Amino acid sequence: MDSYVYIITALLPLAASMLVFQTNPYHALVIRGVLGAISALVYAILGAADVALTEALVGTLLAITLYAVAVRSSLVLRLGVLKDDFLAIEQDADQDHTNHLKQKLANLRVLFEKYHLRVELVPYLDHADLHHALINKEVHVIYTQSDAKAGYTGDSFYLNTRLQRIHEILNADPSLTSVLVDINALNPKEVCL
Amino acid sequence: MLNLVLMAMIVALLIPLYQAWRDEDIWQTMLALASVSAKSAVMILLVSILRDDWMIGIVGVIILSVGNAGFMLLAHILKRMGDS
Repeated sequence: MDSYVYIITALLPLAASMLVFQTNPYHALVIRGVLGAISALVYAILGAADVALTEALVGTLLAITLYAVAVRSSLVLRLGVLKDDFLAIEQDADQDHTNHLKQKLANLRVLFEKYHLRVELVPYLDHADLHHALINKEVHVIYTQSDAKAGYTGDSFYLNTRLQRIHEILNADPSLTSVLVDINALNPKEVCL
Repeated sequence: MLNLVLMAMIVALLIPLYQAWRDEDIWQTMLALASVSAKSAVMILLVSILRDDWMIGIVGVIILSVGNAGFMLLAHILKRMGDS
């Protein structure tokens, strides 16, 4: 057998180990494409043209598309915000309150970037709707201004979350204040009142 | 002679692999994927000429032409991830 066959075959474990040791899911997705291309090459050179064609069409094209959709929809942190604030952020309004909010949002994005999570804003009409969404598990985190909760001193912006792990991550950052809400202990009707 | 060309192509294939392994911008990794995919398809074509085997050649042509569609899909999903 020709010597180039051995060299090309050696590329397959190389690409596979690159994929295994990749921690970022989006990079892993692209490297899965590289692995697919190289394995199609190896299969074709070893004489299995049909296997190479299946690997390229199904293994790479379809698997990557499905995996990309899965990664995109699962690695996301849904943050509930008020509709007015959401519109102000979207329209890039230059107010003290909006700038403060944007600053906090940028901090949040940087913090969750480390965990490969995307922060997605979900608008709600008022505070009651926000709490409802948190309890109904529509969002992971909501933010509240301190005037909604009497007697709270310190930063006016704090986050409510229902997940222990996200609470730990948020509390590790000194610029963010987080409150863990135990949704099992709360009755949705009580919050409405 | 064609064996030497194939060896040079294998060495050239290592360059985008190294680029994909260096963890930086996602778009750099995408470029590396495009490069690896196109290079491997051309290598399949070269081997098919080397062995005078048309079955492998057709597979190379299909992989070369279908690969671009896959990049478009993947790039669109990654772009929408960056927008939101």
